[in-house]
Amino acid sequence: MRTFYLSLKYLAVVLWSAFVIFPFLWMLSTSFKTANAVTAGAKWLPWVQFEPSLAGWQSLFGGVGGINIVKPYLNSGIVTLSGSAIALVLGTLAAYGLSRFTFKAGPLGNGDITFFFISQRIMPPIVLAIPFFLMLRFLGLLDTLPGLILIYVAMLMPIAVWVMVDFFNSVPRGLDEMAWMDGCAPVTTFVRVILPNAVPGLVVAAMFCVIFGWNDFFFAFTMTFTEVQLLPVSIVALNSSVTPWWSLSAAAIVSVAPLAVLAFVVERFLSRGGLAGAVR
Amino acid sequence: MAEIVLERLAHAYAPGAPYALKPLQLTWRNGGTYALLGPSGCGKSTMLNIISGLLRPSEGRVLFDGRDVTALDTGVRNIAQVFQVPVIYKSMTVGENLGFPLVCRGAPAAKIKARVEAVAERLGLAPILSKPANALTADLKQLVSLGRGLVREDVAAILLDEPLTVIDPQLKFDLRRILKEINEEFRLTMVLVTHDQTEALTFAEEIVVMNHGEVVQMGSPTELFERPETEHVGWFIGSPAMNFLPALLEKDRIIVPGTDLSVAAPAALPQGNLKIGFRPEHATLSPMAGDLEGKVTRIWFEGADEVLGIDWNAHRVKVRVSGTSPARIGEAVSIAVPTNRLCVFLDGRRLHLG
Ligand SMILES: Nc1ncnc2c1ncn2[C@@H]1O[C@H](COP(=O)(O)OP(=O)(O)OP(=O)(O)O)[C@@H](O)[C@H]1O
Ligand SMILES: [Mg+2]
Repeated sequence: MRTFYLSLKYLAVVLWSAFVIFPFLWMLSTSFKTANAVTAGAKWLPWVQFEPSLAGWQSLFGGVGGINIVKPYLNSGIVTLSGSAIALVLGTLAAYGLSRFTFKAGPLGNGDITFFFISQRIMPPIVLAIPFFLMLRFLGLLDTLPGLILIYVAMLMPIAVWVMVDFFNSVPRGLDEMAWMDGCAPVTTFVRVILPNAVPGLVVAAMFCVIFGWNDFFFAFTMTFTEVQLLPVSIVALNSSVTPWWSLSAAAIVSVAPLAVLAFVVERFLSRGGLAGAVR
Repeated sequence: MAEIVLERLAHAYAPGAPYALKPLQLTWRNGGTYALLGPSGCGKSTMLNIISGLLRPSEGRVLFDGRDVTALDTGVRNIAQVFQVPVIYKSMTVGENLGFPLVCRGAPAAKIKARVEAVAERLGLAPILSKPANALTADLKQLVSLGRGLVREDVAAILLDEPLTVIDPQLKFDLRRILKEINEEFRLTMVLVTHDQTEALTFAEEIVVMNHGEVVQMGSPTELFERPETEHVGWFIGSPAMNFLPALLEKDRIIVPGTDLSVAAPAALPQGNLKIGFRPEHATLSPMAGDLEGKVTRIWFEGADEVLGIDWNAHRVKVRVSGTSPARIGEAVSIAVPTNRLCVFLDGRRLHLG
């Protein structure tokens, strides 16, 4: 009987995995097809059902009618990682302050300040496009990596603040008080006592920042012209009147790859007990 | 190690709010053991947090050895506090936890190592020094908290805010013993907050009884037991509580009508609600006609003793007798109380009679 239930369980897991993996497999197989193979119906076994071609992949690396995604890929990496890192540092500091000290601006308090951060992400990004554009132009940072990093910091920090305020609120205040009593200065308290307890929160916040940053198309598109190109924009440049499914599939695979790796690592960390004991 | 003086200290959590701690004057001798005893919400933690510097008092001063520390930060005061819920640095090992106060104060590594080892040895934490502190049980965590106070040889005082609440009864007993031994060994000023009178009575040389933000009485366990300043203390200290019976002034004596309990009244007695109180321990069953007669309605067995519940005029009087008493439930008995054991309370406060 037990084996029966166990096999049922395995069956469910296998079905679910298939459901999740199938689109990826389809994408992978499509990336090796040519126009004929794509339009010829549901064929997905290379060599058996269609003759594989590297055209889709070649067009990502300067092939005929394609682009070269190496540079945009690196650019996206730089902008996402530096933007996330800066947003995380600033956001964590802000969140600690918001969680531990009382701020008053007229009738507004800590909760309102926290909401102000989040509200940045509630309005559609188009609202911010013009001010951001003018500000970057004023600074002479349009179409540059530093300019993009600035924008990404502004877009990602609310996420970091939001996640971290919540997290710090769950770290008991008594821990800070204990450290003060032990003679620890406030900054040391934060760095040596509170931060080590906040690692799971930091991981989650970092993950969100990286995902949102990496996936952003809107600002990558509006704040750049010719000098700097980010991955999502360059992928769009692949498109033409006849949709090149093969090269788009290849592009989708390379752009989702780092996030898949990230998800895998984070999942490992969190399930290995990264969260255990962090919250009482 | 320091003598702590609370000078005209009072605290309200917000301007205009009622006092959480009413104005008080207290001195804690260097090396003494004190217990702060009182019901929940009476201001015990408020007082401790003011001493440790986590809270600025709204009135008055805190002096350590005559030095005004009211405006000083917690860290500078060099106080150790153990909280009700164990607070430990989860990301560190037991050893790192113990050494942290010294690390924060910039002590040399060799000194830290020596102190940590000495304290761990004393508290029996030596075998687990390199274990992650997070994995410890609640009682060991409290020991680690205590140890963080002990590593500082010059710690001004160790404040214990109901540290034993979350501990199993057996371990509670051990921890209390360790606290007592530590105090005797290092002559550290220790203040234990509790609402358990047994804990207070067994730990402290002096007990501060609080109620509604007010220090009601400060004294040795015997003083509190023999001469409670207020009805509240008589009721709070001792098990079972003091007996209180309504009294009247008749000519020059204060009497409980219908009994032979009476005390000579002082010359000028203000108007007010009079009560006569006596300890269950001080009353005896008297075979001859005693001071008060009633019917036994309950008997509690308390180890070597028995406590009799005796109903008299809609009041229940309790009497503690050692051994097994011959009294049976439903039986009428008579009890006697020596006059010098009777306390008179006027509007809840004890009258000081000659
Ligand atoms: N941060 C605070 N802000 C406002 N009022 C408070 C605050 N902390 C405590 N109080 C109030 O002050 C009074 C005394 O509280 P305190 O915590 O000192 O009591 P306690 O004797 O320690 O009680 P317990 O035995 O429950 O710990 C209570 O009425 C409480 O409601
Ligand atoms: Mg308390």
